[in-house]
Amino acid sequence: MNVIVLSAVWGVVMMFSGLFIADKSKAKYVAIAGLLVLLVANYFDLHHKFLFASSIGNMLQFESFGMIFVTIALLSTLLYVLLSGAAVEKVGNHAYEYFALLFFVLCGVGIAASYNNLLMLFLGIEIMSIPLYILTGADKRNLKSNEASLKYFLMGSFSTGIMLLGIVLLYGATGTFNLVIPAVSKASENMMVSAGIVLLAIALAFKVSAAPFHFWTPDVYDGAPTVFTSFMATVVKVAGFIAFVRLFENAFGGMTDVWQYTIALIIAATLIAGNITAVFQQSVKRMLAYSSISQAGFMLFAVYSVNAFAKEGILLYAAAYCLATIGIFAVLIKMKDFTFEGFNGLAKQQPLLALLVSIFVLSLAGIPLTAGFLSKYYMVLASIKAGGLLWLIITAMLCAAVSVYYYFRLIQAMYFKEGDANAIDVNPRFKALLVVAAVLIILLGVYPNALLLDWFHIL
Amino acid sequence: MSNILNYIWLVPLFPLIGFLINGLGRNFLSKTLVSFIACGALLASFVVSVYFFISVKEGNHELVKLFDFISVGKLSIPFEFQIDALSSLFLLIITGVGFLIHLYSTAYMHEESNAHYARYFAYLNLFVFSMLLLVLGGNYVIMFIGWEGVGLCSYLLIGYWFKNTDYNNAAKKAFIMNRIGDLGFLLAVFWIIQQFGSVSFGEVFANAESKSTAVLTGITLLLFIGATGKSAQIPLYTWLPDAMAGPTPVSALIHAATMVTAGIYMIARSNILYTLAPTTQSVVAVIGLATAIFAATIAIKQNDIKKVLAYSTVSQLGYMFLGLGVGAYTGAVFHVMTHAFFKALLFLGAGSVIHAMHHEQDIRNMGGLRKKLPITHLTFLLGCIAIAGIPPFSGFFSKDEILAAAYEASPVYWIVGVAGAMMTAFYMFRLYATTFLGNFRGTKEQEHHLHESPWAMTVPLIVLAILAVIGGFVGIPKVFAENAHSLEHFLSPIFTQSEELVKKDHALSHSTEYMLMGVSVALALIAILYAVNRYSKKPELQDAEGFGKVLANKWYVDEIYDAIISKPLKAISIFFNNVIEKSGIDGFVNGIGEGVQYASRQLRLLQSGQVGSYILLMVLGMIILMVVQFFIK
Repeated sequence: MNVIVLSAVWGVVMMFSGLFIADKSKAKYVAIAGLLVLLVANYFDLHHKFLFASSIGNMLQFESFGMIFVTIALLSTLLYVLLSGAAVEKVGNHAYEYFALLFFVLCGVGIAASYNNLLMLFLGIEIMSIPLYILTGADKRNLKSNEASLKYFLMGSFSTGIMLLGIVLLYGATGTFNLVIPAVSKASENMMVSAGIVLLAIALAFKVSAAPFHFWTPDVYDGAPTVFTSFMATVVKVAGFIAFVRLFENAFGGMTDVWQYTIALIIAATLIAGNITAVFQQSVKRMLAYSSISQAGFMLFAVYSVNAFAKEGILLYAAAYCLATIGIFAVLIKMKDFTFEGFNGLAKQQPLLALLVSIFVLSLAGIPLTAGFLSKYYMVLASIKAGGLLWLIITAMLCAAVSVYYYFRLIQAMYFKEGDANAIDVNPRFKALLVVAAVLIILLGVYPNALLLDWFHIL
Repeated sequence: MSNILNYIWLVPLFPLIGFLINGLGRNFLSKTLVSFIACGALLASFVVSVYFFISVKEGNHELVKLFDFISVGKLSIPFEFQIDALSSLFLLIITGVGFLIHLYSTAYMHEESNAHYARYFAYLNLFVFSMLLLVLGGNYVIMFIGWEGVGLCSYLLIGYWFKNTDYNNAAKKAFIMNRIGDLGFLLAVFWIIQQFGSVSFGEVFANAESKSTAVLTGITLLLFIGATGKSAQIPLYTWLPDAMAGPTPVSALIHAATMVTAGIYMIARSNILYTLAPTTQSVVAVIGLATAIFAATIAIKQNDIKKVLAYSTVSQLGYMFLGLGVGAYTGAVFHVMTHAFFKALLFLGAGSVIHAMHHEQDIRNMGGLRKKLPITHLTFLLGCIAIAGIPPFSGFFSKDEILAAAYEASPVYWIVGVAGAMMTAFYMFRLYATTFLGNFRGTKEQEHHLHESPWAMTVPLIVLAILAVIGGFVGIPKVFAENAHSLEHFLSPIFTQSEELVKKDHALSHSTEYMLMGVSVALALIAILYAVNRYSKKPELQDAEGFGKVLANKWYVDEIYDAIISKPLKAISIFFNNVIEKSGIDGFVNGIGEGVQYASRQLRLLQSGQVGSYILLMVLGMIILMVVQFFIK
């Protein structure tokens, strides 16, 4: 509750500080201060000490799973602002407003991580999405940015409609918005529940860019200012997953036979579409968009399995994926050329940077010793424990093999090709932060329990 | 007192440290320092080994678990050392003979450059370390680590002069032949794991009697295949004569005294399994005997001083396997020990000759070295008498013990064995007479430089000669004195389980035993006299003809192997490379890559940028999902 309220409040504070502080390069400091406040608030949330002792008629529920995720999201955002805060300020003339919108997104993340009611789910998802429509079009004079924003908004509205339809069908069958679905007996009611679940799955699949509802992703990620792509592809995407997992575990966990096969199809389609299409991309930014789709395919295993492994796994996945992707995007923002050729010879010019990018890429590809490997492992393990489908797991493994191709193209470009790639304006502080991220990735890959998963059980 | 054995890891530690220092510092250390480190490591190991040996002799034995090595599921393989009578005896042989050979090498290898000199000693120390691991290992896996380690060192040392292609080929041959055997060993270990759920000697042997004979026969046969590789028995023996490409001290240490006896050690260690598998025992005995006689025939016609000794080694190893096959485990181990003394002596003597002759190895170009190399000559002669089995030299006692046991098993074994022993005496004295007696046949240059070797080479010769003479007294047979066989007494805890199973219904009568001994000694003496008489006056200088040519060419075994195994294999591999690899596998792999690329190009087209078409595709997706949800599943 603390995070939800304070992030909204801080969004307003950000907006007003823009009126009082003329220097727009100060905006990131206000944002960092806000994030630190939110982390403290999150700490109290985790220990069930609330500033505002209300769960709004039981519509919100603060359990450790959601709250730990909020911690991950806040820390990722902090890393993101520290690495790319300056780039946010440079997008346009409204630096404070951009940060304000990011805080509103965090408010939505907080709700998505703690809703206990379908209406709250809807509110959380919308609060998360609407600021993103604006941020996508933040580069006002850029036609691509405008186009992306409009596309995102149009298709987002479409998915919102589907989500509402799903909620309505569930309400019609059960007469409640609560996540605990009462048993229904009539065949027609059963049918309505079943259809409602599929519609909700489709709407959420859209939000996490799962196939075949992922078409917006490459265009929007490509068109949006790169800093905001980074935020969308990481914090917002995994927040969508947290909402997805919580819904399917808390509300539909007792009737896996109704929806598991449908989810399995979505997983397979996502893995194949994401990985195969990524192979041919020439732009790293667009490749990362497809990579985010393929990673979503793996994260969907958590929705599919809804068990303890899935919950631990999605937390680990969230941390691993956010760290690596934020890191790569932070470097990408510094590059002059977003194509693979743009990275040619980076290892000669900036050996440390190339090494760090390699670690991030290895983690995304799921190479052992990195957190990316363990999180993929957890996902597959969870689905096996849930009685996973063999063909699905084989598909996932083959797709993971395909992903190595396009991830390693980046390493190949940096290390084995001649070129004069040079990142502009890389200061030691930036490198130090990336080193921290890379070390965290490796530590999470070696000691996942001590660093992250044990907290899940302690708190 | 018994907990002192917990420090057994000290024994292999010293050579390991020596290896690391000499190996890493080979570019900085002086030859003197390298010698001190390498010899010092061995001496330290030897001293502690003696200490442990005394402790074991007092009746102690210990299974020392150092740490968990492999732990998977229910299977747990600890890194453990077993120190008992058998391993402590081998410790003494390895570190003792090893030290002498290290000392000898300091002089023999002196012409090498600093870095190569250090490399040599580093390998030698690594070898000793691996060999100690092999005999100390408390389970088959640790033993296998040592087993592979000695194989590697053998490879490295045979190919020590790596600029010579022939030597490299010899090294490769040794490695490959050993690998064939190792495969058998590995399969046996897997089978043991499957049957016993453990690889520890203690557990395996304790449960051996509950397993079926068929299983045990399979396991022991596979282990024996491993032994035929490492201990150079038919059909895998061909690498050992070629292994003489390495420096002579290496031949003495690895290819005579220690590594090649690993197979005998392993079977002696697993004696209970073999006792329970009589079929395997017969196979072991027959293979051993066949190798003994076969190699002896080849040795008769060889003219390279080291080749004669190499085939002699193969032949003697055959006797040891004969001993194992007829259940004379103590006799086999006894022969390992005496053989280590006299064969190391003979090799080092040969090295001394080669050193004096400036790397001449052909005995046809020698002759009359008796006067120029007095110490080498005398010690070599003692070694020849020992190997020929003349009492009271060490070889007599050990060979006699094996032959007596063979006679008990079947008189045929004994007849063939004695024939082999006679040949042994013959070819050894042919070698001795051609090399040391008669007139010098080498060049003037060589004659001018003939000299006795330095002390570092002669001292080991003298020590080994003494051991070769008196080494047999630890195993005096019962006919001469009751309870004088102290080796048997010492080793008895290792073989009790086997002995209890085989109730001896009758021992040989004393008169029979005297008769057997008399016959074999008499035949050996005749062979010696004939050989000395014939070759001291008129050495065989021409290439052999007729049947002798077949022997000189080693029965054409290498050529046969080449024709029936190597050539067909090569043809198959060319076929696989050209047809299956290039068009089949490459085509498949590249096809997948191209398929993914193609699919990527096509899937990309769905991404048209038109919101309308996106929505259409999404709706289609929804319809499919709904159909699946409600109608298919």
